[in-house]
Amino acid sequence: MIRSLSISFLLFALTINVYSANIDLRLEIFSGDLSMFDNSIIPVITYSDSSAFSPSSPILIFEDGDVLTIKVVNSDINVHGFKVDGLIDIGSIAAGDSVTQVITLIAGIYKYYDPTSIENQYLGLSGLIHVKESGDLTPYFYWNLREHEPELNNAVSSGGSIDQTLYSPKYYTINGNSGDAIDNDAQAKIFGNVNSEFRLVIMNHGLSIHSMHFHGYHLLILDNSKNSSHNGRDKDTFPVYPGHYQLLSATPDKPGEYPIHDHNLIAVTGGGQYHTGMITTMLIAP
Amino acid sequence: MSLLFGQIAFGQIDYTKLIIGRNQGTHYFHDGDSTRVFGFTETLSEETKIPGPTIEVNYGDSVKIDFWNVSQGAPHTIHLHGLDVDQQNDGVPMLSFEVEHMLHGYYYFKAPHPGTYLYHCHVGSTVHLQAGMYGLLIVRPSNGEMNLNWDNGESYDREFSLLASEIDTVWHNDTILDHEHDPMMPLMVPETFNAQYFVVNGLSGSQLNDPANYMYFQPNEKVYMRLANLGYYGVRYIFESALNARTVASDGRPLPNEQLGDTIEVLPGERYETFLQFGNQSSSILTVEHFNLNTLEVSASQEMVFWSSSVGIDEISSVSIYPNPTDDLIYFSDSPVDYDITDITGKAQIKGFSKSSSLSRLPSGIYLLRIEGRTYRIIKN
Repeated sequence: MIRSLSISFLLFALTINVYSANIDLRLEIFSGDLSMFDNSIIPVITYSDSSAFSPSSPILIFEDGDVLTIKVVNSDINVHGFKVDGLIDIGSIAAGDSVTQVITLIAGIYKYYDPTSIENQYLGLSGLIHVKESGDLTPYFYWNLREHEPELNNAVSSGGSIDQTLYSPKYYTINGNSGDAIDNDAQAKIFGNVNSEFRLVIMNHGLSIHSMHFHGYHLLILDNSKNSSHNGRDKDTFPVYPGHYQLLSATPDKPGEYPIHDHNLIAVTGGGQYHTGMITTMLIAP
Repeated sequence: MSLLFGQIAFGQIDYTKLIIGRNQGTHYFHDGDSTRVFGFTETLSEETKIPGPTIEVNYGDSVKIDFWNVSQGAPHTIHLHGLDVDQQNDGVPMLSFEVEHMLHGYYYFKAPHPGTYLYHCHVGSTVHLQAGMYGLLIVRPSNGEMNLNWDNGESYDREFSLLASEIDTVWHNDTILDHEHDPMMPLMVPETFNAQYFVVNGLSGSQLNDPANYMYFQPNEKVYMRLANLGYYGVRYIFESALNARTVASDGRPLPNEQLGDTIEVLPGERYETFLQFGNQSSSILTVEHFNLNTLEVSASQEMVFWSSSVGIDEISSVSIYPNPTDDLIYFSDSPVDYDITDITGKAQIKGFSKSSSLSRLPSGIYLLRIEGRTYRIIKN
């Protein structure tokens, strides 16, 4: 059962899919192309929650205690898999095959991924699961960070392997979008109100370290997967390490539009153009 | 001619600071090469250096930054990094204002929690920050006390501020620096950034451990380090374990729990504040690593030196001690004398009675030669 929950605030309405109680979820693995703002084409492989290719794997939101029946269909030509550390292990899935598993979900933030190889994860086979605490009505936003080196995507798609000592990405995306296109992603674009808390989950699915800087406000680290002793820190710049996440909370004290961007300022560029990478703004109403 | 941009009324201004934007400076590296830089200065007569001048204000001050852009070409701004100013004073083009050639722009803010902050230009920021338009901003306690980290905080005897970055000279080519500025058109930049120079406070290589740039301390002092990074690499500041490094703040806020450890990793845009406790050592080495955020490999490992003011260093006469630097033999007397050679931490390496010594078995680095009650700095290539 899928429940569609609409949250309206400011002049903006967004719809996110919230799965609750007994849930059937079908994910299908497709290979396809990610189109960049400059019309560059990058080969990727992703999970899709529809019957068609999606340029990025979906963000999955559940509630604590939900019983999930997940079916993963592999429509690619190679073996893939699906795993969530400590929660779900479907194992490998042959090309054209599918596997179904039932699991009771526990509150937390998780990364789902293809355990068959780091190369498949680099190509796009990983995503974010948020199992919310029951009754948590705080507005959440979600950022999946990735870099893309087109030559490496092409090589890996042809069976090559990753040598990170040579890694030199050319594009930087949030939920598969970069620069101005991030504004059109309701799960990424932050809209908020003064004196009203919002939370942001930043998960790094790439190979690089990112250093996300916020204008306008300090944010509180509620949770992070890299070093639990950093929880409770009040900062304006947050390291997000490969494979890890930060859960941040902010309660804006003033209105305005403020940028958020990687302060490795090469990552705010893309394809040799400035302002086309990991950069967006948050819009806070009075 | 000037324009007043400030819109925010803070009532009485406690402190006004003039910052001048420049785009015709020359930065000299340790190897003799140089490159064109942009930068900030406090006067028209001073040379443009990186980083720019450190701005110091007191907690609670109403501050006015008078930014005068004397440079030609693209406009500039001042972004007050970490100060959580309102949108109008945030220094981001399109969302506030840009300052064109020979105009003044005014930024107003109320100094937030005492701590370490940054400022930099946010026009074509990847280009203008790399070009050199950045500096530190320190908020002192409300009474302006210099040896206290914040109101009712912890006192110390001495502080040092280290701001790391890098330079890729490709990004300093005139064709990049003198870019067209049309907010409606994309700004073209190099696709990659591969630094040749890794700098701390604008210093690189042998400049970092030159006695002129030593961080001098007195025995048993408690030292406060402000550690920042505004480059495009990660930086690790690695202190000797004897100093018992204790990090107490980051990004201008106290940490809820002190972080104990000799290595402080500072990513682009971050700041950390760390206590060190010195004893009776004559010196201590700070290793600064820059690491590539994509390959995760260390790109440069360089050393800075804490030096006790109680230990003197005598000037070397190139006639009496030569060659220096040396690959092997170093001559220091016309007749045999007692001598000893230690590393920079004082650890004995070679001792003898001779007119010369062979350094062939020593790793490259800086050493101290003591003869006839005097200490000399020598370098093994």
